[in-house]
Amino acid sequence: MQMNIKTAGFEGPLDLLLHLIKQLEIDIYDIPMAEITEQYLLYIHAMQELELDVASEYLVMAATLLAIKSEMLLPRHEETLEEDFFEEEGVDPRQELVERLIEYRKYKEASLELKEREQERSLMFTRPPIDFSEYSSERTVKLEPNRVTIYDMLGAFNKLMRRQKLKQPLRTKITREEISLETRMEEILHELDVSGGWVNFYDLFPYYDREFIVMTFIGILELLKRNEIIIRQEGNFEDLWVARKDFIPT
Amino acid sequence: MNIVNWTGILESLLFAAGDEGLTLQQIMKVMDVEEWEALQIIDDLKREYEESENRGIILIQLAGTYQLATKKEHAIYLKRLVETPAQSTLSQAALETLTIIAYKQPITRLEIEEIRGVKADHVLQTLVAKGLVQEVGRADGPGRPILYGTTKEFLDYFGLKGLEELPPLPDEKNAYEQEEADLFFDQLNPLIE
Repeated sequence: MQMNIKTAGFEGPLDLLLHLIKQLEIDIYDIPMAEITEQYLLYIHAMQELELDVASEYLVMAATLLAIKSEMLLPRHEETLEEDFFEEEGVDPRQELVERLIEYRKYKEASLELKEREQERSLMFTRPPIDFSEYSSERTVKLEPNRVTIYDMLGAFNKLMRRQKLKQPLRTKITREEISLETRMEEILHELDVSGGWVNFYDLFPYYDREFIVMTFIGILELLKRNEIIIRQEGNFEDLWVARKDFIPT
Repeated sequence: MNIVNWTGILESLLFAAGDEGLTLQQIMKVMDVEEWEALQIIDDLKREYEESENRGIILIQLAGTYQLATKKEHAIYLKRLVETPAQSTLSQAALETLTIIAYKQPITRLEIEEIRGVKADHVLQTLVAKGLVQEVGRADGPGRPILYGTTKEFLDYFGLKGLEELPPLPDEKNAYEQEEADLFFDQLNPLIE
């Protein structure tokens, strides 16, 4: 039989087994161990022949298949040979494997559905919210101290990166110099001083330039680490606010 | 209540809110209406966009908030605005891992690895870095392993209102029958051609 090695590769030994089961038209509830073990090993050997890196999990599965195959060959207790179903002493050695395969397949199929959602969602575009800070007379931001986690910041960061997707082609070419981290950090501190209070996290990213955004984000993390700035959040999913460490909130 | 007025107000508010969106509570508060009224106004505005081919925006529900977004049919034009289109779909490994977490959360790394049959630490790191997955606690037992769950960003990324909108898991029996049907048609097709 022709061996077609997909360059796309498999997600693991379970994925490979599911593929074999489908290709060989095997009944997953009654797997012929000899056949599937043979095919599986053929595949592994082919991968090794092609000098592809065979992850250890594949080898563990190979050993598992061989173990199950041997167990199937062992004579069972005389009484259970008469029965059509397996009692506790005569548990089908394939059972655990079958359960694992079915479980994995469940999520594999569900992931295809989610992939469709992903693609549909990518067809819809949104805008960042209007910046009302110019319209408000005073920055009276009353914030209760609470725990801002790295996940909140990562969420904010990712939202930023998403927003820079829709760039107008009319943007002017700015001759950019290399931005050093220290410089950016000084700039951030300066902005905080000038504002004299809390600054919205997103306002620290005025340019939708990828490197600028990354540098700023790292700068903020570094300043946090050095205990020179603090970050607050009004509530779940609200905006993040940044200030100098020694700023005393009213 | 002059309904035409209210949908106009909601439209302005949603336009201002952008991709942050507004929750039902926020809408109720800002417009000073009851919940049933808010839902009615939202539905009216949503319908207006959908029913008119001349409109380019729609009202959607993402991760518990209402937002305005562009119509899917116009994506092809919008993509022309972008100089270098981003290639940011998830890898198969990331997608599968994410799916497991979405349905089984909270879940530990070990449990994920048991289902997938391969190591998950690298993929998990990627998912966390993308803000799609987060730590939600620790499991009891030796080592007190970290429990993972999905984030609000996850809902937004897949266009889901909430976790309840996750498609139901394929029934095992049905999946088996579907495969039988697939194999049957696979054999049939070459005969037809």
